[in-house]
Amino acid sequence: MNAIDIMKLNNEKRKQLNSENEQYYEDMIVYIRTNAMKSEQQTEEVLLELLEHLLAAQEQGRTAKDIFGEDLKAYCEEVIQEIPGEKASKNVLFLFYLLIDLAAVLMIFLGILSYALYHFFGIGTRSLTFPIGTGISVVLIDGVLLAIWIYLIFRWMKGSTFKTKKPNKFIEFLQIWLMSMIFIGLTMLVFLFMPEFGTVLSIPLSIIIGLGIILFIVKTILNKRYRITK
Amino acid sequence: MSQRSQLLKGILEGCILSIIHQGPAYGYELSMKLQEFGLSDVSEGSIYPILLRLQKEKLIVGEMRKSEAGPKRKYYSLTIGGEEALKTFIQNWNSIKNPVDRIISRGNHN
Repeated sequence: MNAIDIMKLNNEKRKQLNSENEQYYEDMIVYIRTNAMKSEQQTEEVLLELLEHLLAAQEQGRTAKDIFGEDLKAYCEEVIQEIPGEKASKNVLFLFYLLIDLAAVLMIFLGILSYALYHFFGIGTRSLTFPIGTGISVVLIDGVLLAIWIYLIFRWMKGSTFKTKKPNKFIEFLQIWLMSMIFIGLTMLVFLFMPEFGTVLSIPLSIIIGLGIILFIVKTILNKRYRITK
Repeated sequence: MSQRSQLLKGILEGCILSIIHQGPAYGYELSMKLQEFGLSDVSEGSIYPILLRLQKEKLIVGEMRKSEAGPKRKYYSLTIGGEEALKTFIQNWNSIKNPVDRIISRGNHN
């Protein structure tokens, strides 16, 4: 069983928890899963073990605190500390997959949009024209911004666990919304204010769309072969 | 960490190795066995960080497989390194147990 199969099994079994244990356990899941760079397989295996144990104890009328201790956060820290790190090859594969996925979607979407604008409304040109230096810089900086944003979202999720007071859903939404707006705004700023430099490239839109489709196929094959998200 | 839990950690590791040595076992089963033997003060959850550490040190391996009752469970078994570590633990324990008992009983004049 790989990590994703175990995750599915976990989702299924979690339904048997009563509301008190569910609240404790869901916090534990978020807290333990949002630790990046730890082996996903080992993380899911131990989470399922904890769930099985909790379900068995629940039948005897016990709660998560009876089993894992009063301080659930400290217990989670103890577990996290012992989970081995993810293999570098798996991290690289995942990053590679994300980049291909992102590039494929952008190329197909922008390609078709620009193609339609040009052919139906006479807006723009039939090819994508940009200075190569500018293009590479924008992609790199936006990539770094994306990584920072994901890291911050994870930190935020981790911080939202084990609250004694029920958090206000609206305030939580506002926080996430604000973080997302700042991220999108910064991405646009980079795009708008990057000075133009490097040789100007002109690639026909049909080639952009074609490349996008090829990348999409590569991505789908990668996902089938290595079961990255399914 | 309290002195008590420090002391317990190493001993628990040895006990877990010993139980797994008697036959493959899964997490909940292991913790129930520890309780049955009287280690009821040990918080049940404390075995999971220990199981992770023992796997990291390659003393045990875990394998997800179907249990007799039906659901898939992670069964642990000892590696060759684990057998060695268990032997060492038993030796260490035997060399400590009696002297400590004697020292404590001498100091305790009740």
